[in-house]
Amino acid sequence: MRKSRLVLAPAALLSAAALVLTGCATEAEEPASTGSTTEAATEAEAETFNVYALLPQGSDQAYGTTYLPQMEAVAAELGINLTITNSQYDADKQASECEIAVAARPDGIILWPAVGDAVRPCLEAAAAAGIPVTVTNSDLFDADKDLSRGFSGPDTYGQGVASAEIMCDIVGDASVNIIQLNGSIGNSTAIDRDNGFTDTIAANCPNVTILDEQNTDWTKATAQQVASEMITAQGLENIQGIYAADDSIAAGAIDALEARGVDAADYFITGIGNTFMGNPLVAEGKLDGTVFQSSSWDGGNAVRLMHSVLTGAAGAERQLLLMPSVKVTMDNATDPSVAPEW
Amino acid sequence: MSNQSVIKMGSEAKGPLGKLRVTLARRTEGRAVGLFIIIATVVTLTQPLVFTAYQVTLGRIALIGLVALGLTAVILMGELDLSVASTLAVSGVIMTVVANETNILIGVLAALAASVVISLINAFFVAIVGINSFIATLGMLFALRGFALVISDEQPVKLLNVEFGIAFGQPILGPLTPRILIFFAVFILLQVFVTRVRVGREFLAVGGNRQAAYDAGIPVKRRIFTGFIISGGVAALAGVINSLERTAADPTAGSTVLLASFAAAIIGGNYLKGGKGSIVGTLIGAASLGMLQVALTISGVQVPVQEIFIGGILLIAVITDPSSLRAVWGSINTVIQGLKNSRAK
Repeated sequence: MRKSRLVLAPAALLSAAALVLTGCATEAEEPASTGSTTEAATEAEAETFNVYALLPQGSDQAYGTTYLPQMEAVAAELGINLTITNSQYDADKQASECEIAVAARPDGIILWPAVGDAVRPCLEAAAAAGIPVTVTNSDLFDADKDLSRGFSGPDTYGQGVASAEIMCDIVGDASVNIIQLNGSIGNSTAIDRDNGFTDTIAANCPNVTILDEQNTDWTKATAQQVASEMITAQGLENIQGIYAADDSIAAGAIDALEARGVDAADYFITGIGNTFMGNPLVAEGKLDGTVFQSSSWDGGNAVRLMHSVLTGAAGAERQLLLMPSVKVTMDNATDPSVAPEW
Repeated sequence: MSNQSVIKMGSEAKGPLGKLRVTLARRTEGRAVGLFIIIATVVTLTQPLVFTAYQVTLGRIALIGLVALGLTAVILMGELDLSVASTLAVSGVIMTVVANETNILIGVLAALAASVVISLINAFFVAIVGINSFIATLGMLFALRGFALVISDEQPVKLLNVEFGIAFGQPILGPLTPRILIFFAVFILLQVFVTRVRVGREFLAVGGNRQAAYDAGIPVKRRIFTGFIISGGVAALAGVINSLERTAADPTAGSTVLLASFAAAIIGGNYLKGGKGSIVGTLIGAASLGMLQVALTISGVQVPVQEIFIGGILLIAVITDPSSLRAVWGSINTVIQGLKNSRAK
C-alpha cells in the first residue's frame, strides 16, 4: 500500500500541475467579458480571433525573449488568442505542430519557418483547411509565397545595403581592402545580407575591394577562428576593413584582429544587429557601425499583420511589412531609440 | 525489512484488484500502463482535441516512437545507440540526393544501405574492439552530423519530386498516413522478433547477464551486430519518412529526436542496463509522451515548461521501479530507526 502511495503521489501531483497549467492556458484564452453589456460582449466576441504562432524559438533564445512578450502584448491588445509553439529549429517537430494547428481549426497561423525548404506541406494543409497563413522573421522561398498572405520581419537585403552604406561613408574615397564574413551557408538571411552588401559596395564605393569572403555559423567563436585564418592568408598589412553579417561575427573578427596586437578601432568594420554584444563595441569605436534589428518590432508586427488579414484590412495581395534598417554608429549608439534588445 | 514488504504484497494480492496490481508491478511495462492511464485521463479532461484529432496525435506518437522502437533493440542488450539522431539526418540527405539523381525507390534503398554500414561500424567498435557503446556511438553521432552537412553542402536538400512527397504525407487508409502504418508495421515486426524468434529472445539474455549468455552458447557479438542494425535501420527509415513528408532533407534534423526516443523507452519500463524491457513498453512510452506533447502544444505551454513535465514523467518512471522503491523505503526506515534509537538513548 505504501509503495502504491509512493507511485501515485508524484503522478497525481504532476497530473494536478498539468491540469492547473492547461487550465490556466484555457483561462487566459477566454476574453474577460464579466460585467460588460450584451452588445459590448458580442462586439468583443466578434473581434476575438484564435491564432497559432508556429515559431522555431521562444524564451530559450536571446532574440525570442524580447520577441515573445511584444507578440503576446499586441495579441492581447488586438483581441487575439495566441497559442505559441517552439520547434527548436527542428523541421519535423514544426511540421507536427502545424498538423496540430490545422486540426485545431484556428482563424489563422503565423509561421516562422524552422527550415524554409520544409514548410510547403504545412502551407498546403493550411490552405486546404482554409486557414490563412502569414510569415514572420524569415520569408518563404519564392515558389511557396503564393500560399501565404504576407510577410513581416527584417528586410535582410536592406540590412546588407545599410551596412555597406556605413562602410562607404567611413571609407570615403580611399582605396580599401576588406574581408567579408558571412553567416552560415545556404541560410536565406545570410544570402540576402551578402547580396545587399556586395551590390551596394559595387554601386556606391567601388574603391572598396573585397579580398576574400568566408562563411561562419553565426557564432563569435567560429568567426574569430575564420577571421584569423583569413588574416593569415591575406596578410594583416593588406587588410583595412571587415564586413560581418552579424554583430557576433563582428565581435569574433575584432578579437581576431586584437590577438595580432593591433587596435580594432584603426580598421573599418561594420556589422548587423545592434545586439547587446555589438552596441557596446560601436560605442567604444571598435565597430564603426551596425544595423538595428528590433526583436520587439518583429514580434509585435507579426500579430498586427495577421490581424489585418483576419479583419480584411489587408488587401487580397500578399502583404509585406518590412522592418526599417536603422543605422547605428558612434553618433547615435547610446540613443534610447536604438537601445539593443537582444 | 524487505521480508516484511514481500509478505505485505503477497497478502494484498488477494482479490482481482490486488492481482492486477501485482501483475502490473511484475511486468516491466506495468508502470508505463499506470502512467499512460493517468496522462490519458488528464488529457481527456483538459484537451479533448488530442483524441478528436487522433490522427494528428498518432502522427506525433509515430514521429517519436519509430526511432524509440529501434533503439529498444540495443537497450534490451544493455547497449546505447546515440548515433540514431545523426543516422536519421544523414539517411534523409542520402535518400533525397540519390532520389533527385535517380528515383525515390533507389534513394530509399541507398539510405537503408548506408544505415547498415553505419550500424556495422558501431557494432564493430562495441562488440569487437570493446569500446563502451555510449562513447562509440557518441563519436558516430558527431561524425555523421558532419557527414550530413558535407554531402548536403550545409543546406537543406529539396526533394525534386515534390508531388510524391506531398502525397506521401496524406492518409491512405482511413485517416492513417504511411508514417503511422509503417510505425505499426515496425512495432509488430519487432514485437514478434523479440518475443517469438529465438534470436530476438536472446537479446534479453545478452542484456541480463552477458557472461551467462556466453556460457549458454549464445553468439553475443552477433546479437550485438543484429541489434545495432535494427536500431540504425529503423532510424534511417524515420529519416526517409521525414524527408519525404517535408519534401526536403535537413542535415541538422533529429535534434529533438534523441532525447525523446530515450524518454519513450525509459517511460516504457526499459532498463538501460539491459535484460529488462519490452517493445510493447516502448510503444506505451511513446504514446504517453506523444499525447502529453500534443496536449501541452495545444495548451500553448512553452518548451521549458514542457521539458519540466517530460522530465517529471521520466523521474516517475525511474523512481517507481520496484528496486528503487525498495531502496527508498529502506533508507527511510533506516533514518526512522536511527531517530528512535537516539531518542531511546
